[in-house]
Amino acid sequence: MSISPIIFLKNVDSIYEGESRPTIKDINLKIRRGEFVYIIGPNASGKTTLLETINGLVRAIRGQIRVFGLDLKKNSQKIRKNIAYMLQTWDIEPDEPFLVKDIVMMGRSGKLGTFINPRKQDWELVKDCLEIVGMLRHYKKPIGKLSGGEQQKVFLARALAQDADILMLDEPFSNLDTDSRSMVLDILRNYKQRKNATILVVSHFLSDVSFQIDFIDRIVIMQEGRIIMDGSPDEVLQSEEYICLKTNRS
Amino acid sequence: MIFFSLDLMLKLIFAGILAGFASSTMGVFVVRLKMTSIGYCMAHAAFAGAALGMLIDNYLILASINLNINLPLIMAFLFTFLTSILLGPLSEKTKLDVNVILGFLFALMLALGFIFLSFLPSGVISSQAVSVLWGSIFGVMIEDLIALAVISALIIVFLIFFYKEFLSIMFNKKMALASGINVSLFTFIILLFNGLVITFSINIIGALLVYALIVNPASTSFQFFYDMKKIFIFAAIIGIADSVAGIFMSLFFDLPVGSSIIIVSCIVFISAVIISPKRRWKMKKQKGIDEWNNTN
Repeated sequence: MSISPIIFLKNVDSIYEGESRPTIKDINLKIRRGEFVYIIGPNASGKTTLLETINGLVRAIRGQIRVFGLDLKKNSQKIRKNIAYMLQTWDIEPDEPFLVKDIVMMGRSGKLGTFINPRKQDWELVKDCLEIVGMLRHYKKPIGKLSGGEQQKVFLARALAQDADILMLDEPFSNLDTDSRSMVLDILRNYKQRKNATILVVSHFLSDVSFQIDFIDRIVIMQEGRIIMDGSPDEVLQSEEYICLKTNRS
Repeated sequence: MIFFSLDLMLKLIFAGILAGFASSTMGVFVVRLKMTSIGYCMAHAAFAGAALGMLIDNYLILASINLNINLPLIMAFLFTFLTSILLGPLSEKTKLDVNVILGFLFALMLALGFIFLSFLPSGVISSQAVSVLWGSIFGVMIEDLIALAVISALIIVFLIFFYKEFLSIMFNKKMALASGINVSLFTFIILLFNGLVITFSINIIGALLVYALIVNPASTSFQFFYDMKKIFIFAAIIGIADSVAGIFMSLFFDLPVGSSIIIVSCIVFISAVIISPKRRWKMKKQKGIDEWNNTN
C-alpha cells in the first residue's frame, strides 16, 4: 500500500505579486513524511519560490497543491500553522526593537491560536530551543546586537519552537562556520528523528553539507524555474545535471 | 493666562490624557509598520469628511431637520476608514505605487475639505471649521471624551488579547503570515483603530495636526528601548505628558491647543533624538561597517 505524500504538487506554476511571468513552471513533486530533501540550484532558479509556493506565500496560478492531504487554496492558514519556515534574509537593523526571546516565541504565535497568550510551558520550550542552538545566554538580548551567525541560530530556534511537522529552511548555513553547520545538521537530524518530521533545505550548493551527505534522503536540482533532477544523493551526484551545475559554479 | 471653571479644566485634561494615550499607542504600530504616509492621508481625509459633515449639518438645520447625530464625526470616520481600506486595491488596480496614490489622495482630501468649508456660511467657518482644522479647547465635547475612553479601553483589550499577533506582524509581516497569523485581519484592525483615534481627536488637536501626536510620542519611545512592551508603555506616558503639557502651555500663553501640544511633542522628540543611546549605537555600528567596507 502506498503512503500518501505529505507534500504534493502537480503541474504547478506560481507567480510573485506584480510579476507577469511565473517564477516556477510545471512543478511536479511528492514528498513523504519523514523525508529530508535538499533543494539546490543557481541563483534565481526558483528554490525559494518553491518553498513559498508550498506554504502559500506565493500564489500558484496553475496546478494542484496538497499539504497534509489538504487543498492549500482552501486551508492555507491551517496548513501554515504546521509548517515552520525560516527565511533566507531578515534585514535586521542594529536598533531593531525586538528581544531574542520574543522572536523565538513568535514561532509559536500561529500554533497557539487566537486569544491564547503564551503560557509557562511555551516559555520553557523557547528556552529549550535556544539552548539547543546554543543561544540561551542571549535570551533577553536585542536581536540587532547579535552577529549574523548568531541571528541565524536564533531564527532556527524560532522554527524549532513552532514544533511543526514540516520544517522549511532557506539557506540556513549561509552565515555559519563549519562547526556551526555541523551542529545545525545534528539538530535537524534529532528533530527529524524525534517528530518524524519532513525537512526541506534550500541551498546554492551541496558543499554546505557534503561532510554529512548520508543524512539526506533526496536531492532536487532546480534551474530556470523547473525541476531538472530529483533523486537519491547517489543518483544525483552522478547525474549529468549535477556535474553541469558544479562545473558552472566553479 | 486664561482661567476656566474646574469642570472645563478637568474635561480638557481628561481629553488630553485620552487623546495622548490612544494616539501614541496607535503610533507605535504606525511608526514600526512604516504607515506614517497612510496616517497623514487618513488625517486629511478626516478633515474632508468633517467639513462635509458640517456642510450637510448646516443644510439640515436650514431645512429644520434634526437628526440628533454628530454628522461631522461620522463623516470624518467614514472618509478616514474608506481612504485606508481603498489604498491597497486602488494601487493594485491602477498598477501605481502606493506612495503615488497617497500623494494624490492627500491633495484631493485637502482640496475637498477646503471646498466643503467654502460652502459654509461665514459665521460657521469661524467657529466649527477652525475647530476641525486646528483643534479648540471649546471644541471638546463630552461625547468625544466618552468615545475616546471607549477606544482607549478597546486598544488595551486588543493589546492584551492579541499582543503576540501584533508583535509578529510588527517584526515581519511575511513571517507572521508564514506562521499562520491572519495578517490582513490584524492590519485591518490597526487601520480601523487609527481611523477612530484620528476622528475623535480632531476636535481637540485639529485634523491637520492630529497625526503628529500619533507619530511623535511613539518615535520618541523608539529612541530608548529594544523591548516592544516598554516601547508601548513609554509611548503612552510620553503621549499623555505631551498632551497635558501642551494644554497648560495653551492656557498660559493663550495659544491654539492643538499647536501647543504638537510643539511640546516636537521638542520632546528632538531632545530624545539628541540623547538617544540607541541612535548612537546604530551610528557607531554603521560607522564600523562603512570603515570595514572602505578597507576591503
